[in-house]
Amino acid sequence: MSEVMTILRREFLERVRSKSFVLGTFLFPVFMGAMWIIPATMGQGGGTRKIVIVDQAPAGVGTIVEQVLTHPQPAADGKKDDEAFTYVVERQARPLAEVRAGLIRRIQAKELDGWLYLPPDVVGTSKAEYRARNVAQFRVLGDLSRATSRAVQAARLQASGIAPAQVAALVKPVELGTARITSKGEEGGTAQSAFWLSYIAGLLTYMMILLYGMNVLRSVLEEKTNKIAEVLVSSIKASHLMLGKILGVGSVALLQVAVWAAITATISSRSGMLTKRFGLPADAFSTVHVPLGTLLATLAFFVLGFFLYAAVYAALGAAVNSEQEAQQFQILVMLPLIVPIAFIIRIVTDPLGKIATVLGLIPFTAPVTMAMRLASAPVPPVQIFASLAGMVVTVLAVAWVAGKIYRVGILSTGKKPSLAELGRWLRMA
Amino acid sequence: MNDALTLDGVSKRYSGHTAVDDLSLAVPRGTIYGILGPNGAGKSTTLRMVMNILARDSGRISLLGADPAADRTVLRRVGFLPEERGVYRKMKVTDVIVFFAELKGVDRRTARANAGQWLERMGLGDWKQARVEMLSKGMQQKVQFIATVIHDPELLILDEPQTGLDPVNQEVLRDTMLNARDQGKTVIFSTHNMEQAEQLCEHVCIIAQGRKVLDGRLRDVRRENMGNRWYVEFDGASEQAERLMRDTSRFGAAQPHGDGWRVDLAPGADPRALMQALAGLDVPVTRFGREQKSLHEIFIDRVGNAGTPQRRPEVAHV
Repeated sequence: MSEVMTILRREFLERVRSKSFVLGTFLFPVFMGAMWIIPATMGQGGGTRKIVIVDQAPAGVGTIVEQVLTHPQPAADGKKDDEAFTYVVERQARPLAEVRAGLIRRIQAKELDGWLYLPPDVVGTSKAEYRARNVAQFRVLGDLSRATSRAVQAARLQASGIAPAQVAALVKPVELGTARITSKGEEGGTAQSAFWLSYIAGLLTYMMILLYGMNVLRSVLEEKTNKIAEVLVSSIKASHLMLGKILGVGSVALLQVAVWAAITATISSRSGMLTKRFGLPADAFSTVHVPLGTLLATLAFFVLGFFLYAAVYAALGAAVNSEQEAQQFQILVMLPLIVPIAFIIRIVTDPLGKIATVLGLIPFTAPVTMAMRLASAPVPPVQIFASLAGMVVTVLAVAWVAGKIYRVGILSTGKKPSLAELGRWLRMA
Repeated sequence: MNDALTLDGVSKRYSGHTAVDDLSLAVPRGTIYGILGPNGAGKSTTLRMVMNILARDSGRISLLGADPAADRTVLRRVGFLPEERGVYRKMKVTDVIVFFAELKGVDRRTARANAGQWLERMGLGDWKQARVEMLSKGMQQKVQFIATVIHDPELLILDEPQTGLDPVNQEVLRDTMLNARDQGKTVIFSTHNMEQAEQLCEHVCIIAQGRKVLDGRLRDVRRENMGNRWYVEFDGASEQAERLMRDTSRFGAAQPHGDGWRVDLAPGADPRALMQALAGLDVPVTRFGREQKSLHEIFIDRVGNAGTPQRRPEVAHV
């Protein structure tokens, strides 16, 4: 086994010593941090909208709309909502036809964002109109629709004889607070932080497996095209060579993940200081508390997933003669890795649903899928163990086949093999 | 058990093509042994089977007393330089050499020290920490050669070691091979260049189209393939002498060669008849002697021009 160590050591040191590794390891967190901090410091979404209410509605409706828009209720949990808009409202009582041209001019001159038309029969028809420069801001549309609905509902309640004082209490909307429940009871964390954690865990697993899988491919190709393979194979068994290579590249990936984990841990332990320095809301770093077992399971899926794809990439590297040739096949290898990314929203928002469960049990899609599921929901342990067991079996089977292709492939030259030839290699090796 | 390597009826077939056909040979320890033949004769295939890079289809191989296919550890005592060269381009020179030494079981510290010495000896002392890709092709070949010998192997197997080397480095390589032999090591190398082999080898094996043409001690090979060729040189010009030489009907073909003539007598013809005829000439003969054939000529005699390669296998089979 000492020869496996020699191969492992070379693969590890050559990569870790390279500038690209050092840059990648330290620039990536900086990049991620920037993605987090820059939008947070840039006015935190939201903004101010200036709106004219063309109020032809019965007395009182326009007033309530204005009031709801300009004096929003504070959130139920007392947190500041980063995405909220503030509204400056101006009311017009003249008919729309008279003021329309003037309003359009003001919108064109950017003095105004839009107008809300409350027709005389709004209480009966429940129809109002909004015209603006930008009608794709769903948050604004939601705010307007909610405010108008409340005003109209209030008008209707009053018409049916309920005292104005009671109306406000009757139409008070419900604020939905969210928190995540794990198998150990409530662990806190908002829906949003669980979403992001799950999202990042999936993307990171995908990225690392792809990146380091290609690393294995490139390393195999280097030895093949530079004819180093012959000397190596005369000193060491091909299967040991492949094992050492995959373990070596894999330890680089783990080292990188460990460095990132350490950086993340350091940052979250000083989140108070950082939020103050960057002027972020106090809960900017609040994340879901992830139990150790889940972390270990995620790590196991990552390691097995890497082995699985690394073995496939090693065989691919041995079968082709150049990176150009490899590119034609890479998409086939990547495809099962991409599937969970294509379903990322489905899996992240419904981690215990059908799609997430099925993709989590298929060995080739499991690593990325399970990384997302484990981060956001209490996945049943039966599923975790079943998926891990399936992966172990698959890794062994794939490594066995890949090892055979690898053994013949690294010494072969000339045109790339057809599928029939690959079959022959399998029987031969 | 005095042989470093023996092959006994070794064959390697590819679909519709036999690369090595029933080859037997024995390499005595402590000698320089040349495997000669034109391109595509099966030299590399033979050496690859010896190194267990290719699996043989039939026959027996004994390498330093063991079958390399059954006992890989014996390969640690061998240094192998493949025909097609290459080392890790991004690695540092010393690291490459130490890596290959470690694969052969040399401990890292020893390997590092030895690598330094070898690099100095080969004139690469200033490049120890350089990346391989910064080196010229010739220097890279030297690095690979050092990587081949760094674990101090008992047996060196070099496949076409001279290709790509300039004359100065060919000289360095020659010295290293002779040096290894003087230290009691065995050197096997393949070449298609018969002249180089003549200068270096004590034993040769000539193969063509996968089959052995001849093998043995170079001296014996030469003697056995002596032919009936004689060299005559006269003291000055003579019309009479020239007429005798040009008359092919009496002694066979004679050609001007250097300052004299080369006469190929018919096989079995008695050279004394020629000597008598020479004695009757009007000029004294200053040199008369039997001429040895070059390896190249022996080769051509034996295989004619049929020794040209067949198609190369496209895929190597393990």
